[in-house]
Formats: sequence, structure tokens, C-alpha cells
Amino acid sequence: MSESDALIDVQQWPVFEWPQSIKRPRLLDELRRLTDLHYGACEQYGTLLDKMLGRNTANELEELPFLPVRLFKHERLLSVPAADVVKTMTSSGTSGQSVSQIFLDKQTAALQVKVLSRIMGDFFGRQRLPLLVIDCRATVADRYRFSARTAGILGFSMFGREIEYALDDDMSFNEERVRRFVEKYPDQDILVFGFTFIVWRHLVQILEAERKVLPLDRGVLIHGGGWKQLQSQAVGASEFKRRLQSVAQIRRVHNYYGMVEQTGSIFMECEAGYLHTSARIDPIAVSGSAQLSWPFAIE
Amino acid sequence: MSASTIAPAGEGEPTLRYTGVSKTPRRGGVVIPIPSDISSMMQTLVGESDQISNSPTTVFNTERMAFLAELSRKLLAHQEARALPDVVSFAYWSRRANLMRLADRLAGTGALRMGLGLSFHICPANVPINFAFSMAFGLLSGNTCVIRLPTKHSPTLDIMVEVIDKLLKEKSYLSLASELMLVRFDRNDKLSRFWMSVADGRIVWGGDATVDYMRGMPCRPRSREVAFPDRYSITAVDPDAVLALSNDDLQALCLRLFNDMYLMDQAACSSPQLLVWVGELGEAEEAKARLWPEIERLATSRYMPQAVQIMDKYVQACRHAMSNDQVISIERHSNQLYRIELSGVSERQDVCRGYYGTIHEVTLDTLEPLVPIITEKYQTLTYFGLDPAQIREFIIKHRLRGIDRVVPIGKALDMDIVWDGYEIISALSRYVVVD
Repeated sequence: MSESDALIDVQQWPVFEWPQSIKRPRLLDELRRLTDLHYGACEQYGTLLDKMLGRNTANELEELPFLPVRLFKHERLLSVPAADVVKTMTSSGTSGQSVSQIFLDKQTAALQVKVLSRIMGDFFGRQRLPLLVIDCRATVADRYRFSARTAGILGFSMFGREIEYALDDDMSFNEERVRRFVEKYPDQDILVFGFTFIVWRHLVQILEAERKVLPLDRGVLIHGGGWKQLQSQAVGASEFKRRLQSVAQIRRVHNYYGMVEQTGSIFMECEAGYLHTSARIDPIAVSGSAQLSWPFAIE
Repeated sequence: MSASTIAPAGEGEPTLRYTGVSKTPRRGGVVIPIPSDISSMMQTLVGESDQISNSPTTVFNTERMAFLAELSRKLLAHQEARALPDVVSFAYWSRRANLMRLADRLAGTGALRMGLGLSFHICPANVPINFAFSMAFGLLSGNTCVIRLPTKHSPTLDIMVEVIDKLLKEKSYLSLASELMLVRFDRNDKLSRFWMSVADGRIVWGGDATVDYMRGMPCRPRSREVAFPDRYSITAVDPDAVLALSNDDLQALCLRLFNDMYLMDQAACSSPQLLVWVGELGEAEEAKARLWPEIERLATSRYMPQAVQIMDKYVQACRHAMSNDQVISIERHSNQLYRIELSGVSERQDVCRGYYGTIHEVTLDTLEPLVPIITEKYQTLTYFGLDPAQIREFIIKHRLRGIDRVVPIGKALDMDIVWDGYEIISALSRYVVVD
């Protein structure tokens, strides 16, 4: 299959419906195609395969050469001319000082948007809802430097209309603005998006301290990104949901797990509390003396 | 209280002779006053912080040797301690017979040798048991020891602290409570500055950064330093000698190499990082085919890395593949053993490191190509099938700035009183001339 055919094909894949027996061979074919593509286009990746991981002979997903995401912290990994880079995603990760850099060209950026929109559509319908972002506008001010937070907010902004930010640029909660926003949409669902630790620190804890309750009972919260710098204050999912409901009346809460290295292909939590893998991504447990697992993505 | 004296030369075999000598009664000057803000910032695990004295004893003091020998006995009788190879290696080193042997080796001259006073030890986290060796070296040199343990807990540290604490509370060793203190504190300028300002001997383990940091602290004009910065260690093997081994002997060799490589997660300064095959390429390939599957087998049954360590190892290997032009290939024997094949060695060889069973390999005709790359960073050269006398000649002939230890494979981690180029007792004590 030519590259353009392959790209058209992959966009027609369903979001979740495929059984493993169909998904695995399709993923394998596509990942082998991509492995070859990057082998030829990215010098360091080519060297890594030649010297250590071997060429593309995988008959199973498990045999594919896998690339640890930490390498993005140490190497500038590019498969397109530098001039074609339209976005640079950065992430400090959870440990260490060095920053990951992930370079996107136009096509990859568009594919990421597409897959995210299909996952979102599957969960929340195609209709765009009013969106309340639990963050400040300054976080998305520079459109060329993308942190995980910027990417998350901008990515999810596409599923909202009438976007409002709950926090001022100094990260303080602007109650008046939020109340005005909620009153504007009395009879419909409102999408609420934020990073887990931001929602916790700048919404839940603030409202608790001020003994206030927001009437966000029509809100659907999507949160991700974990606790990062707030690891010491991390609470479990049930406590998070319980306390969020008591201060904001939000009952519908979906956590998601995503990686800045593969923005778009997120794992979304369902009503039953499970994270779902889409057709384009599959976590693999590789056995050794210890079990390691990592997600593959093709977007 | 008794102290040891060394029998003068010429009275037959040099042996230790013990005589009762009464110790000078304590005066205010010898107890180190520790300000309350200092003592409140640190955790004292063993010893009495309000009694710490800086009065030295003679080297190989009888009471201290008895304490260390008893510590050895207690550890070897301790069920959990016996399960920890590093604790056993210390206990074995610290047994009475070995201490007597070390004391005898020094006894010949008959000179009077006294400690410096107080020694302050910063101990490493990568090899937890080294604190115990450091403590023993400090005590045998005649110093009061204040030992800062790594903040990271480990079974080795927990058990050692428990046993030492119990032993110090026994009647026979009560006086040592003012001469030995084990403490723990997070890196803290104020505390480090205090201890550096009262220390007569500074023993700093833990790499270049720690050594640099400690050197930035003001210290006493007469104080001495024994520093253990980052080192690089290698092993040299004659492939023909490996090919000549019987299966049993091969297994014995592999067990020794396995211990050198894996016991400290390959993170000790004497853990081998580079294996040099000294011989023909063809023989080297045959020898590898005999040696490595056996190492992998040993590692599979005896080495249990954590998931995060396997990931680190994998990432590091990828980085070596991507950034070092001399890497020909990286072969992975499951997750247990990674071999990084090099086309040659370079001046930057000492950054080619790996942990948890990652060995760099190169085949050379002779040791000569190593000459230009051996800097003062090189510590241990372990060998198999090579003649140590020739290695000795090699070091002299080429006037090498590095390599402080040449020992057979299997002894890489054997800590002793001569280490990193120091004879530590001499480094931490004074010769007193009495004419």
C-alpha cells in the first residue's frame, strides 16, 4: 500500500469496534510500514535499528522494535525536514530535569486531531458543547511551544464552543466568571476540562476552603495528566469524584491517560471506570524477568 | 581501659602485645560541643551526640579490634544478615584473624602511630556496605568516627545499624559510644559545614559531585582528606584461556565474573564496565560463545532487577547505540545481559557505562591500545588468563596515571584497607617520632 493509501485507510478504521483478531494484524501491518518509513527518514532511529533492535521482521506486535519515550529527552528525533515542523510538543515528564521534544509536521498534527475527535465523538456525541476550562488563558498563549497542558487544552477546545477559562492568569479561581458562564447554559450539558492536579488544587480545594458550591450538575468533567508536582497530595479516584461532586455537583467524571509523545490517541475512562484502548493503540505486556508494558500508537 | 602497643622490631616475630594503659581522664576540650540547632537537624542512629570526643587512640587499638571482631561474630550469627552477601563479605573481612593479620603487617616498624582525632565519613548509597568498611578503617586508624549514612534505606543498612547499636550497648563497649556515631541527614550545607569544620579526617565517598561539594566547605588546616570520586573499572581476558577451561572451571569463572558484574547492580566503582578480550578476533568470538550464555543463565537464576532498572538499562543501551560511533552492535540476552560490542576504545571510554548487567566489549591484540586512554579515573583491572607480573610491568613501563588495583576476576568488589590507591590507615593516622 502506498503511503497516501495507507493514510486514507487508517483514517477509516473504526474507533473501538474491532476485535483483537482483526485489530492486531492491521496494527502490525501499519506499524511495520511506519517502522520502515522512520528507518529510512530518521538517522538516529535507523542507527538504533541497525545496531540494536534489528530490522523490520516482526510477525507479532510483541516483536516490533519499541522506542522508549525517554529518548525524546536526549535526541532530536525527526523524520521530516526541520522546516516542515509546525508544532513542538514538550514535556518535563514526571522525573528529571530534561525536557522531551516531540516534533510534529502538518500531517501528523492533523491525524492527531482526527483521532482525538473520533474518540471524543464516540463518548460524548458529535455535538459541540459549551466548554469550561479549569486553567488560565496564559497556558495556551504561545501556540508554538506546546506543553502537555497546552496540548490538552487546545486539543479538547475543538469539542467545545463558547470556551471560558475558570482561572485568571495568576491561577486564581474566578468565581464570578464561572457562575456567569454556567447561568448562560441552564438547560444543557457543559464540558469541563482540566488537568487532574489543577482541578484539585485550583477548583476543589479552593471551593472547599471557601465553603462554596457551584451549580455544575450538568457538567461532564474530563481530566488527565495525573498529579505531577502534587504527588504528595494525590487522592484516589473515588475520593476525587466524591469531593468534586460535593463542591461542584459534577457527577459525570472521565479520567483519561495520554502521552505527549502520541497526543490524540488517548485512553478514555468509561462510566464503569475502565480506560479503553482504541483501534489505533494497544498496550502490550512483554515478559522478561520483570513485566514491562507500554502502549503503541500509530498516530 | 587498655590500649595496644606494637612490639618493637627485633623481639622475634612481630606480634601484637597488649598492655594495660590508663587513659587520660576526659577534659572539656576533647568533647565536641554540638550546637542544638545542628543536633536537632540530624538523626542520631547510634552513639551519644553529647559525648563525642576527638581524642585519638593508637592504630589497631585492642578494644576497637575486639569490637569489630565481635561485630563480625554477631553478623555471622544473625539469620537475616547472613542472607545478604555484602554484609557477609564485611563480616568475613572483619573477623578477628583478618584484623590480626592486618595489624601484624603494620607492626614491624615499631613506630608509634596515633589517629588524627575525629573522622567524618560521607557514605555512598550505591554500595551501602561501604559505610561499615569506612567505619572500620576510621576506628582502626585510631579516630573517633562520625558516619553519615545514605538517606536511602536498604536491608543492609537497617540490619547493620541494628546490630552495631545493640553491640555498643554492651558493657564492654560502652566507652566506644563517645567514639562512634552513626547519623543520617539530607544534604544540608549547615550540617556538612559543621562536621567539616571539626573533622581531622574527611572521608568522602559518593562520586565527583559529592567530592566537589565537600571540598567547598572550610576545614581545619591540618585536616586530611580521603576522597573516593567516580572511577572506571575494566576487565581483561585472554580468550585462549577461556577456551582451554573444562566445563566445571568455566562455570567457576562465570560465577566470579557474575559476582563482579551484578552484585552491586554494576554501580560500584570497581564493577567492570569494559571487557577487553586480549587476543585474536576468531578466538574471542569462540570464547564469547562459551562465556556469555553461562553468564546469562546465572543472571536469570540469581539476579532480579526491578522493572524500573530494566527500563533504565534499555534506554541507556538505546542511547549508546544512537550516540557512540564505535558501537558495532548491541546484543541483548533477554533482559538480563546486554553486550555492547565496540570497534575500538576512545579517550571518552570512561563515559561508556552501563548498569544492571550491561558490558562494553572490545577485542585487542594486546593491552597497548589502552595506554593513551587510561587516565587517573581508572581504578580496578580484573584479569583472567593474563600474568599479573606482566600487567605490573605494563603499568610501570607506560607510566600509567590510573589503575590502582589489579586483581583476578571475582575479586572486583573485595574491599580492603588499601583502596583507590590509598593505604587508608596511613592516610588517617600520624607517625609519632619518639627518639
